[in-house]
Amino acid sequence: MTKSSLSVVIAGIAFKNPVFTASGTFGYGNEFKNYTDLNKLGAIVVKGLSLAPRQGNPGPRIVETPCGMLNAVGLQNVGVDAFIKEKLPFLKKLKTHTIANIFGETISDYVEVARRLDFAGGVAALEINISCPNVKKGGIVFGTDPNEAHKVVSAVRAATKLPIITKLSPNATDIKVMVRAVEDAGSDAVSLINTITGMVIDIAKRRPALATKTGGLSGPAIRPIAVRMVYEAATVAKTPIIGMGGIMNAQDALQFIMAGAAAVQVGTASFVDPDAAVKVVGGIEDYVTRNKTSVRGLIGAARG
Amino acid sequence: MKVQTAKILYNKEAAPGYFRIGLSWKKPAIKAGQFVMLRVDTGGDYPLRLDPLLRRPLGVYRSIGAGVELLYQVVGKGTRILSEKTAGEFLSLLGPLGNGFPAPPKGKKVILVAGGMGIASLFMFAARLKGATLLFGARAKAETAVADDFKRLGLKIKISTQDGSVGKKGLVTELLKDEITDDSVVYACGPAGMLKAVSRICHSGGVTCRVSLERAMACGIGVCLGCAVKTNPHAGRSDNRVYQMICSDGPVFDAGDIDWDAF
Ligand SMILES: Cc1cc2nc3c(=O)[nH]c(=O)nc-3n(C[C@H](O)[C@H](O)[C@H](O)COP(=O)(O)OP(=O)(O)OC[C@H]3O[C@@H](n4cnc5c(N)ncnc54)[C@H](O)[C@@H]3O)c2cc1C
Ligand SMILES: Cc1cc2nc3c(=O)[nH]c(=O)nc-3n(C[C@H](O)[C@H](O)[C@H](O)COP(=O)(O)O)c2cc1C
Ligand code: FES
Repeated sequence: MTKSSLSVVIAGIAFKNPVFTASGTFGYGNEFKNYTDLNKLGAIVVKGLSLAPRQGNPGPRIVETPCGMLNAVGLQNVGVDAFIKEKLPFLKKLKTHTIANIFGETISDYVEVARRLDFAGGVAALEINISCPNVKKGGIVFGTDPNEAHKVVSAVRAATKLPIITKLSPNATDIKVMVRAVEDAGSDAVSLINTITGMVIDIAKRRPALATKTGGLSGPAIRPIAVRMVYEAATVAKTPIIGMGGIMNAQDALQFIMAGAAAVQVGTASFVDPDAAVKVVGGIEDYVTRNKTSVRGLIGAARG
Repeated sequence: MKVQTAKILYNKEAAPGYFRIGLSWKKPAIKAGQFVMLRVDTGGDYPLRLDPLLRRPLGVYRSIGAGVELLYQVVGKGTRILSEKTAGEFLSLLGPLGNGFPAPPKGKKVILVAGGMGIASLFMFAARLKGATLLFGARAKAETAVADDFKRLGLKIKISTQDGSVGKKGLVTELLKDEITDDSVVYACGPAGMLKAVSRICHSGGVTCRVSLERAMACGIGVCLGCAVKTNPHAGRSDNRVYQMICSDGPVFDAGDIDWDAF
């Protein structure tokens, strides 16, 4: 079995393996350099970047749930300019791709962030997080309204030559409609799922456990939902799918690939084990070797 | 600083609900006040247990010949599972993490203030001090089981319990009010309410106070941004972050930097 049995091509980019880190769970990469071999990753997807730095939400920001966790970090990040100046030089030196996850409160925010990253160089692709409220549209979340999603992706498409991955929200009514909308707007791939809105109540304090009341659920608790959504998305998608949600090991990752994903992202698992994503690479390699196949040969294998 | 598999050397109940666990760890270079993230699962490569999912932060109580000893109280499902582990089993350990306590300035009267399990983070620090005073507040006698460890270090110890079962009846902050002088420096670890009160007492006396903070953690290494604590706008800091991370910027902070109203 050659190394290339792991490689995949998405949005014109060749990835040496299909395992990426998920945005918001791997910082800007450098935080993990002492814990894992960054060069073994298919790609590093960095923490969501906005035009201006964001301080994030008050605490408590996280609470553990059965087989998962809720987070309400509030998209705290250093901002696109500090990312380019302070974080990107380290990432450029690695033998893996950097994918910049971006978000905004208005369409013009998204566009400007995309432009600056395009200009900076060293970023392989953009991942547009559309699970954010549009402040100019009364806070309606881009990712739950196909028209809004279409608008934001079209605008970013016009502003950059970089490949675009659109990260879909599981809180949309019909994921298939969202896939079509963003593909029509020029998205080169879709990634899903982002976190699912949830709540925990602290019965001693008689109030929600998180300061913001609700938060995003991640971890193994959401995996069956995520696999189902990837499977559904694959029924209509013309572009590659990147699947995620609760992946802890290679077996979990293979479920997503067999449901139709060309690659996967490892999120919450990196908190439990900072080497988790690299272990997933190893486990997938074992599987394809043992079964004399390739990752490409497994994509959508569970589809009738 | 890699994840390692640690063998449990012993795990014994020091007092009802309070355990000392010894973990093998070759040559740990640990600073007083640092902590570890423990997975209450087997030490194997893949987590077998998905619930509880996250690691648990625990302070390093002290170094022992073959490793470290941690002190913990059973409060929920993670610590309960931990308490059922026996010698010879393995745990996955990440650490040491965090900044630890800065050495006290020379010539100052050092006062340590511990509330309940907060005592666990102070032993290594206390072991390096001479002539310090420990003020130890607990709910009841059972929580003060480790006071003897501190006595053996030669510290001056004053205890208060809420039920009066040992020491003075009342809160540890009352002891602090009697003890504090202009030339004191205070190090405190304990529940939020206590830390707030200690910080207030120190602030009004113009006394430097360092606090070790606790908040739920997912990663322990500054990436999930979950353990944020709100800090005061601070001219001396190189960045202008409003939130600091307890795991990577702390857990020890200058009490004057914390926005206590938001804590
Ligand atoms: C830096 C640091 C050092 C600590 N050192 C010690 C120590 O030496 N000895 C000791 O007994 N305890 C210590 N704690 C508290 C300890 O982490 C919690 O008691 C423990 O996580 C509870 O887990 P559980 O599953 O039993 O409780 P559960 O209530 O079931 O836990 C649910 C979730 O809340 C979190 N959580 C609950 N209580 C706390 C808390 N007080 N602080 C942070 N997270 C919490 C858990 O980690 C878990 O994610 C420390 C906490 C921090 C942040
Ligand atoms: C603490 C935390 C922060 C996150 N931040 C972001 C973010 O900034 N942008 C984004 O698109 N997704 C973010 N996510 C979502 C993850 O990238 C991922 O979609 C989700 O957690 C599901 O995968 P998992 O179950 O493997 O974690 C975050 C998730 C967590 C847990
Ligand atoms: S626990 Fe993740 S940032 Fe502190």
